[in-house]
Amino acid sequence: MKLALLILEDERPVREALRRDLASFARHVRIEEAEDVPTALEVIEEIDTAGDRLALVMVDHRLPGTSGVDFLIGLADDDRTAAARKVLVTGQADQEDTIRAINEAGLDRYVAKPWQADALCDMVRDQLTAFVVAAGVDPLPHLAVLDAERALSIVRERGDL
Amino acid sequence: MSTPTTRARVSLPRPTPVQRLGLLLGSIAFLVPLLVEIPGLAPAGHRMLAIFLLAILLWVTEAIPLYATAMLVILLQVLMLSDQALFGGVGPLTSAASYFAALANPVIILFLGGFLIADGAHKFGLDRNLAAVMLRPFAGNARTSVLGLMAITALLSMFVSNTATAATMFAVVIPILAALPAGPARTGVALAIPVAANVGGIGTPVGSPPNAIALGALEASGQGVSFIGWMLLAVPLMLVVLLFAWWFLTRRYIAADTPLTLQLSADFDRSPAAILFYLIAGATVLLWLTEPFHGISSSTVGFLPVVALLATQVMGADDIRRLQWPVLWLVAGGIALGAGIGNSGLDAWLVGLVAWDALPLTLLLFLLVGVSLGLSTVISNSATANLLVPLALSLAIGLPIDPTAVGVMVALACALAMALPISTPPNAVAYATGEVQTREMVVSGIVIGGFGALLLALVMPTVWGALGLL
Repeated sequence: MKLALLILEDERPVREALRRDLASFARHVRIEEAEDVPTALEVIEEIDTAGDRLALVMVDHRLPGTSGVDFLIGLADDDRTAAARKVLVTGQADQEDTIRAINEAGLDRYVAKPWQADALCDMVRDQLTAFVVAAGVDPLPHLAVLDAERALSIVRERGDL
Repeated sequence: MSTPTTRARVSLPRPTPVQRLGLLLGSIAFLVPLLVEIPGLAPAGHRMLAIFLLAILLWVTEAIPLYATAMLVILLQVLMLSDQALFGGVGPLTSAASYFAALANPVIILFLGGFLIADGAHKFGLDRNLAAVMLRPFAGNARTSVLGLMAITALLSMFVSNTATAATMFAVVIPILAALPAGPARTGVALAIPVAANVGGIGTPVGSPPNAIALGALEASGQGVSFIGWMLLAVPLMLVVLLFAWWFLTRRYIAADTPLTLQLSADFDRSPAAILFYLIAGATVLLWLTEPFHGISSSTVGFLPVVALLATQVMGADDIRRLQWPVLWLVAGGIALGAGIGNSGLDAWLVGLVAWDALPLTLLLFLLVGVSLGLSTVISNSATANLLVPLALSLAIGLPIDPTAVGVMVALACALAMALPISTPPNAVAYATGEVQTREMVVSGIVIGGFGALLLALVMPTVWGALGLL
């Protein structure tokens, strides 16, 4: 089982920039891209079918068709994706959208464009760890992309079975 | 808008082919002794053999969780071998309560105390602070730093579970690893921690579950070992194996002039709760070490910190809930299994299968250690001890050797098995860091574990005898 990270962003250069800045995660995390909501839902289906777990979605708000915030609200209602950490990566969400994202989708982080690569990596590591802790996933296979201290604190509670 | 109540979604794991096989073979093995008359085995022995065979297959294949197998053993014993048995007709049987009582066995109470002290040490940051203080004298050179790391890891592991020790030490070490050049030096450091955690676990009765399983079985046969008595038996072996492991790992992986500075700051918690904890934990360890002077058994001493920490509210209900109950149940299942094997006469029959006394004693001990080592390399150390301790103690009945030596040997041999990532949880953590290839773990595990096992089988009985420990 791999942890999966979904980037939902309609502008190709932005998707590529995100993927490039997150390249250090690519060896251990399944990184998927989608340009609109229907594609994103297909990708989620694929992830689920392959037995992987959607751990983190990074979503732009302004998309053709359904908005990023509405997509996140939909995820919060779906059993397969409710546990996924939700991040808005945007420069254009107004206050009302942001309030809805926080209150109705349980938004975890807001990243304003343009982002700093280092801070982005730290945020992704932090959110993947939060997912593993909350979802009760065995952290050991994913240790390389997690905050080791928090991941190991799950392991220490197991005892010598 | 209010947050909707989310129902936990429990998805059942799909059984692996090995697990399916375990369930199938386990069921067959369970039925055979119930349907086939085995000459020389009492009727109760048939039932116990069925339970024992099922336990072997379930523990080896992990078809159901280890602790669930332990509970199943207790349930089956109650249903088949107690005064509440569904079918009688196999002579007088012990009470169901005596099987349930395995969970309140003095050894479990001892562990309860050990667990609570270990959890408190983490809660108040004592584990990391001790590590920081103890590592200072070793700073500067990578080889001496590894010695320091191994020493503190082993010391912690004597009182804290091996898994928790490895988790704590890796949390300390992972940032340090990054300062080392990629390659063998990192592998050496990442291997030193699990080795020290595994080997350190043999040092005291509370160090790891196989010790408790052996102690429980020995106590049941009237051969109880005190806390300090166990330490005298195990610590010499622990020290020699640790030193050998340090020598081997540093020569193989770490160049003599590799610089490594471990700068950890100690920041002892001085709140009233923390100070009370230090006092209670210190007093408990002191009482454990001085049993020959006051005569209070280690289990009773182990219960003191439980009461003291909870009464003073240094620890609370949450800390009780967080205790590793699955481990306690697994040990309890082992104790119940051992009791059942003894009560049903299965032990005598098993021993009678082979003319053990025709074999030289040294060869027998060698085989015993080898089987324990081999089995616990591929399955859980605790499950191995659960299966082998009762067998080994039955075997000891007919041998010219102290049963205590045999019980202790099985427990210690289980701890020496560390050749694979799956051998022990500390190994799994080391492997997860990505700094250790399986091949390297196999080499170091075979060399260090093999060295320890040879020492244990061939030298330790003589040492114990010469020191007058048995």
